[in-house]
Amino acid sequence: MRVEQPRSARVWTAVGECARREGVPVSLRHVVVTCAGALEGIGAGLSLLRDSSPPEPVLASGQAAEALEELQFTLGQGPGLDAAAGRGPVLADDLAGPGAQRLWPAFAPAAADRGVRGMFAFPVAAGAALIGVLDVYRSQPGPLTADELAQGLVFADVALVLILDERGGITASLDGSAYAAIGAHRVQVHQATGMVAAQLGLSMSDALAALRAYAYVDGRSLADLAADVLARRVRLGVGERGRSCDLTDPDGPAAGEMRDDGNDSPKPGAQPGGRDGEETRG
Amino acid sequence: MTLTDRRVREAFIELTDTLVTDFDIIDFLQRLAVRCTELLGVSACGVLLADHHGVLNLVAASTEQARLLELSQLQNADGPCLDAYRTGKPVQCADLGAADAPWPVFDAAARTAGFAAVQALPMRLRDHVLGALNLFSTAPGPIDADTVSLGQALADAATIGIVHQRSLARSEVVAEQLQAALNSRIIIEQAKGFLAERLALDVDDAFAVLRRYARDHNRKLTDLAADIISGRVDLASPPAPKPHPSR
Repeated sequence: MRVEQPRSARVWTAVGECARREGVPVSLRHVVVTCAGALEGIGAGLSLLRDSSPPEPVLASGQAAEALEELQFTLGQGPGLDAAAGRGPVLADDLAGPGAQRLWPAFAPAAADRGVRGMFAFPVAAGAALIGVLDVYRSQPGPLTADELAQGLVFADVALVLILDERGGITASLDGSAYAAIGAHRVQVHQATGMVAAQLGLSMSDALAALRAYAYVDGRSLADLAADVLARRVRLGVGERGRSCDLTDPDGPAAGEMRDDGNDSPKPGAQPGGRDGEETRG
Repeated sequence: MTLTDRRVREAFIELTDTLVTDFDIIDFLQRLAVRCTELLGVSACGVLLADHHGVLNLVAASTEQARLLELSQLQNADGPCLDAYRTGKPVQCADLGAADAPWPVFDAAARTAGFAAVQALPMRLRDHVLGALNLFSTAPGPIDADTVSLGQALADAATIGIVHQRSLARSEVVAEQLQAALNSRIIIEQAKGFLAERLALDVDDAFAVLRRYARDHNRKLTDLAADIISGRVDLASPPAPKPHPSR
């Protein structure tokens, strides 16, 4: 009836091959480049959210995509910005059409003038842990096929894993199972993420990054660790990023020590409202 | 028109009335699970939807036992719902205690949860299977054909409800809706864990608090979950989140 399962493996393999051809470790750039190719785009770009400001362009597959990412950022409107504000992908299948021109009156005509007719924006997120947007640009109007759309979502998940693991200071494993860490079916992982966020005063994405890093350093599965966190057998106290972790002292070292790069999370004990809205506008 | 007929009609109207502005897909699927148990005379119902990886996710269950059983089914990647999803066809097991049990781990877990029979129905849109519905019965024996037909009709109505009648032509809208549902589910799980820590409860009790607060304050579960995570709503601060019965 339908082909299932192989899609994630297919995407991971394609990203891995792209890196191998260059003889370098897998990076976000490989995700962006491979995604543009897989969705038959003229390019793709990645924007990341910092604090509560709109997503900023950080990476593009080429000059065309880079110009469009900048255009969107400069004008402050476009499918990518909407994807960062909403709960799902934003799919603009004709930027020259009236619908797109109404939604993005400055961006849509400007993009169409540059020969871009289709733009598809995928949130890089797991629930409230929203950290960026992956944009794919096409020269022809028309919707993505169901498989292309699903692939786009998988590419966004791959980007999420790479970003989180980079934050956590670990090397992303391309073992093909990493994607499994963030699906909605990993109920306990998401619950444990919420628990760690509350314990350490972290944003959801930092809490997920901390959990992944802890599991990696400890050489155990994320699912196992999540179960222990939920049962309160393990409490993450974080001495330094990606390392860890004092299992015996419930107070642990100050979680604030994790923050060393102007990242986006509030300090422990931050007042409600003082917490930035970055992760929850979704 | 008998009482059952009227309730069935009302359920169909409810399940296809999704073009409202405050439509919340999680609430919607939770209602589907509850309506199915009421109208089909089964003990419990679970709803699973596939994500873009092709992996099934639990999105609603009428009872806690059904929820736990569905989760164990997903964890072990074996059970009637997965078969219904893979094949696009209904799957039935009238006696989970039988020697030739088709899903050994699931069967044992189901019997431990007090269930004796199961029926899984695909949630289909044309040639695309979006997920599956599980009906659990505490009494052994086949679930009769009329009940299965009505269950499939409810599943079909809900599938159409999910994708919105007006946008049936656009496959990407289906994916958008599914994505919204699955993402809502993740936000709710994150909020459960967050709240469990803040209130020093286990996650199931935290979820009960979350649900009660949503009901008492007429909030959508997903919105409330997002507000709790962001700190806009703090259930840990006094006054305690005890809804007063007299209110």
